[in-house]
Amino acid sequence: MEIYLPIAGISINFFLILGIGGLVGFLSGLFGVGGGFLLTPLMMMIGIPPAVAAASDSNQIVAAASSGAFAHWRLGNVDFKMGLIILAGGIFGGTIGVQFVKVLRAAGNFEFVMKVVYVLMLGLVGSAMFMESLRTILRSRNQEAAAAEVAEVSEPKLGKLFAKLPLKMHFHRSGLYTSAIFPFSIGTTVGIMAALLGVGGGFIMVPAMIYIIGMPTIAAIGTDLFQIVLTSANVTLQQAMVNKTVDLLLALILLFGSTIGAQFGAKAGKRLKGEQIRILLAIIVLALTVKIFLDLVLTPSDLVSLAPAKGGGH
Amino acid sequence: MTRLLPFLLVLGLGLLDPAPAVAVTADAKQKILTAASKNLIEIGLSYRGDQIHFFGVNPLPGSDVIIRLTAEKQEDVKLSVKGRVGPFWMTVKQYEVSGAPFIYKIHASKPLERIISAETAEELELGYSAVKKKMQLHLARGDAAPEDADLVFKGLVKIKEEANLYNIVQDPKRLEEAEGKLFKHYFRFPSAATEGRYLVESFCFSKGQLVGYGKDVIEIKKVGLENWLTQTSQNQPVFFGIMAVVVALGAGLLVGVIFRKGGHH
Repeated sequence: MEIYLPIAGISINFFLILGIGGLVGFLSGLFGVGGGFLLTPLMMMIGIPPAVAAASDSNQIVAAASSGAFAHWRLGNVDFKMGLIILAGGIFGGTIGVQFVKVLRAAGNFEFVMKVVYVLMLGLVGSAMFMESLRTILRSRNQEAAAAEVAEVSEPKLGKLFAKLPLKMHFHRSGLYTSAIFPFSIGTTVGIMAALLGVGGGFIMVPAMIYIIGMPTIAAIGTDLFQIVLTSANVTLQQAMVNKTVDLLLALILLFGSTIGAQFGAKAGKRLKGEQIRILLAIIVLALTVKIFLDLVLTPSDLVSLAPAKGGGH
Repeated sequence: MTRLLPFLLVLGLGLLDPAPAVAVTADAKQKILTAASKNLIEIGLSYRGDQIHFFGVNPLPGSDVIIRLTAEKQEDVKLSVKGRVGPFWMTVKQYEVSGAPFIYKIHASKPLERIISAETAEELELGYSAVKKKMQLHLARGDAAPEDADLVFKGLVKIKEEANLYNIVQDPKRLEEAEGKLFKHYFRFPSAATEGRYLVESFCFSKGQLVGYGKDVIEIKKVGLENWLTQTSQNQPVFFGIMAVVVALGAGLLVGVIFRKGGHH
């Protein structure tokens, strides 16, 4: 069944889009990531113009993330206070990051630096998370008889440092009592990186929430989804106003698939242990790293390609 | 039957026209009588591209026919060129390309160079080398190199051919001619051919000289929901953006609620 997408300007199979949406929604609900990293390249692969793919993806992420966030909220996994503070930091960091990009771009081979940093960072985050969750799984297997409730992650050192700063508050859902400056600065850092790398940041944010802030895995996922709803709504609005490339019909089909996928993802997440989710996320991050690395190293089949349009901003 | 109608019409008109070939000299060109099976393509929800049949009467029976499809609108594209940086492949330069047609298809009864000279081809903009001459490159990023024009043009043609927006078919089977007089063929308009006016021009050549010319205009436009969505997104971007966000939020929460009710506790 073919359907014509008005803004993308091509006709495409309805079920193909639906299926891709479902897959990405599942991952989004399970890991608390926006899924844009996966969706935009997939959309471009099936022939959607890059600018339309990026803009419409952010539109459907609003739906997938709100569906996922709602499911997590019902399960009590969203720390609203934490989410809003991180978000404020993220917006602040994003603004700084965009300026950085301008300076770096003027200086020369920005793309090269960016890709290398991307590969290194993703590789580092992915392998660190993989090792940690593997150790946890092995340890809990050995201590199965004890069945003791082991703390998911040891108390981060950086957390202790920040606990001494002012503006202290309770984050009930995350089970933390720390300075508001802490999540704000984490949000800022991730915001800068997201702007530099041109990604939404869910991939960096969830590990940062778990390992640096010290939130329980499931709360980090729920909270990240909550803040993704707000950031992707903002990006959609910007894209619609500046680039006029949001294809609502494409987004609707995608979100139909992804909202349902996200529900199954959130349910699957509830069944899995924190370390099991972390190891799966680590595997996906590593696979992504390998893919980007191969793109850099292998000879491209076409030397000339359509240039991707500028993003609407983070 | 509806497709046959204009065909018969052209046939009839052609026969009524008294001996059009006689007066033709090297310089004078005659109007080629042409007709299309339709002149309007409407893009609806289930649009997947369309096919239009064209018919024409060759004013000088036996002369060679070249037909060209182009769009009225021009399209500026930006192309990235990859190159090696150390062990890595990455975008090393970008070119803004202007003056290249959005769509460019040619049907000819035999290879173009056997019909017309290179000068005529360039003058009438027939064939890829004429397109290349018209194309302008503007370096947006990186360092220019002498071989870039070739590389970028070949890359552009490949991208366009894959989208079925460019092609050149030089095959008598593709351009049928009945007794050297009545020719018929069809153009496929891919779904990537967006709204706008398209020109189908027929050229007849005898011994390399243009002896006849005819033109049909095809319009493609969006209708119904497709038209509304496009118009709203372009003309009321703020409203469209807010609507997109609200629809997405509503859909997300709705699915969340449905799953809550249907879900087991």
